[in-house]
Amino acid sequence: MAICTGCSLLCEDIEAAEKDGALSHVKNLCRKGHGHFQAAYTERTVPMIDGEQVDLDRAIAKAAEILKSAKSPLLYGWSNSTLEAQAVGIKLAEKLGATIDDTSSFCQGILMERILSGKLPTCTLDDVRNYADTSIFWGSDPSSSHPRHLSRFSYYPRGDKRQKSYEEERTCIAVDVRKSATANLCPNYYFQVAPGGDAQFMEAILAVLEGKIPKVGDKKKMIGLGSILKKTEWGVIFAGLGMVYSLQEKMDLFERLVAKLNEITTFKVVPMVGHYNMRGFNELLLEKTGFINRVSFKDGKPAHGPEHSVVASAKTCDAALVIGSDPFSALPFGTARALAKVPLIAIDPRRSLTTDGAKVVIPSALSGMEAGGTGVRMDGVKIKFEPIIKSDLPTDEQILTRIMEAI
Amino acid sequence: MAAEVEVTVVTMRDIFQDEAGRKSRFSDEYRDQSALIILDKQDMATLGAKDGQSLQVKNDVGSVVVAAKTSEDNPHQGLAFMYNSPWSNQLVSDAVSDSSIPGFKSIKATISAAEENVTQISEIQARIKG
Amino acid sequence: MVGAMEIYMLLPKTNCKECGLPTCMAFAVGLLGREKKIDECTPLIEEKKYEAKLKKLRELMAPLENASETGLIIHPEKCFGCGNCVVACPVNVAAEPTRCGVGLGPQSEKVILKVEDGVVVCGNLEECRRFGPNKTLCNACTATCPSKAIEFV
Repeated sequence: MAICTGCSLLCEDIEAAEKDGALSHVKNLCRKGHGHFQAAYTERTVPMIDGEQVDLDRAIAKAAEILKSAKSPLLYGWSNSTLEAQAVGIKLAEKLGATIDDTSSFCQGILMERILSGKLPTCTLDDVRNYADTSIFWGSDPSSSHPRHLSRFSYYPRGDKRQKSYEEERTCIAVDVRKSATANLCPNYYFQVAPGGDAQFMEAILAVLEGKIPKVGDKKKMIGLGSILKKTEWGVIFAGLGMVYSLQEKMDLFERLVAKLNEITTFKVVPMVGHYNMRGFNELLLEKTGFINRVSFKDGKPAHGPEHSVVASAKTCDAALVIGSDPFSALPFGTARALAKVPLIAIDPRRSLTTDGAKVVIPSALSGMEAGGTGVRMDGVKIKFEPIIKSDLPTDEQILTRIMEAI
Repeated sequence: MAAEVEVTVVTMRDIFQDEAGRKSRFSDEYRDQSALIILDKQDMATLGAKDGQSLQVKNDVGSVVVAAKTSEDNPHQGLAFMYNSPWSNQLVSDAVSDSSIPGFKSIKATISAAEENVTQISEIQARIKG
Repeated sequence: MVGAMEIYMLLPKTNCKECGLPTCMAFAVGLLGREKKIDECTPLIEEKKYEAKLKKLRELMAPLENASETGLIIHPEKCFGCGNCVVACPVNVAAEPTRCGVGLGPQSEKVILKVEDGVVVCGNLEECRRFGPNKTLCNACTATCPSKAIEFV
């Protein structure tokens, strides 16, 4: 059995075997995972310096040279690397006195903080399958982002206490700005909110739970939602970027809502993490420094703050290492432009906008397929995997270790 | 004066666009799947736009030309959707609030008909390089 | 999906009974239920005046060619590979309670639906509850599909 590193569900029932240099009749991979696996065969990177192909040793030496001589290097990416590689990366940041940040910085960070610190009660996906009778997808469309979420855990499968599953014992609710593919699966339980309107919606739920009249358009529908929540035996809110981006500084309101729900019944929160090992990085860095992201080792002791986020650091750093991420595609134009101005080292198995703009490109083995290691699922469960494709490429862990030795 | 529509752009995920992006950021397929903006029927009518027509989406951060696509959702005038991509990121500001999260899902922009073809990925790369 | 009236409009409408059925409408219904084949309407095939209608009818019926006995059609290009149908299908669940029943992919060949190469494929359709003498109107697979990739004729 192979494990898919296409998203943070880390599906473990994948049957994939390479035959004659290709994968076919692969079983159980969703469309997204299938694309992820097939990507192993195209647009692979080779070691490069200034657009010219070189041998691996030279590329690594150049990378070490750039980082060593930099006064404020930035090490960014991490969410597509194994725990083992991330651990080396954090050590490297410490050795260099560098700033280290991951994708959670502009993604699930403010939610993850609260989950890892215990401010928001959480659970495993297996708990969800066994106990949950109400699953709420808030600002999240798992059908599109985590395709097997509903069939493996949150709505369709049977569980210990939910043998009659979605037909009789589970309710799926979608709160979103649009009628997503997921909302179409539970059209009677779709609640539309305006962009930025999630805070108001939460206030309305709180009102209903306290027996007051909610300040929203459809009061009847809101009161209906209140009834479902009150009757829930074991609920879970899957919080997506839609909610996080809408609330931002108002995350305390979400804490209040969850606390109120837990006065009435049991309600947990699970973050809908994108990349397969973002949570792994957050947990490691938290353990090491007390912070989940945006850390600077410049003054020896780890410092944390928005000035150390990738978006801010892109403008102040004088060199950058980007590992397993494509900020030129995924971050705001200004951030990409800022990163393009400094010597950039890209460690990536495949060509991207970032590798195209990098001074040094170091090819790596794809974790989950060509490299083994450990990943942390969106719910905190650690999953260890072995490679299924033979590769001579160095793993992230090996590359980082070699860079560290050369510094 | 050409017709213009003011919108708030919200970025979202699409499984087919994601698949194309995983395969290659540089393919025509990725561009066709990503360089588009999903508009409410009324907004399309105001612009006099048809599906596939080039539209310019512009704000203080930048400007990009993408293809129009009519929404299949309930009416949402003033709200437009794009898939998270190098095209949508041409419009996202890197000036951030305390939480340092860019406004990926609250991009204010103006849309108008465009003469040019959809912006190519190479053009975006050139703009990033500066 | 195609309706009986649509089909009827492309038939001779003479009620000649050469197909063995009393009316053209009955033949239209028979075509839809795949109990009759287009070629059984001799006038339609043989008479030149119906050439255009015959062509249109064949085009109209083409998607149903790929439908199984149960009337199940899969559009792989729309499929998310989400596995909702695999886990909802009562035959799948009965065959593999410790796998499909609890959200995992099947391992036996007894199931009707499974995800291969990123999209759903079907087999063993004679086991489908919509088929056979005791058939029911089970719609577990179509009702749980986020993209209408699986549907019944």
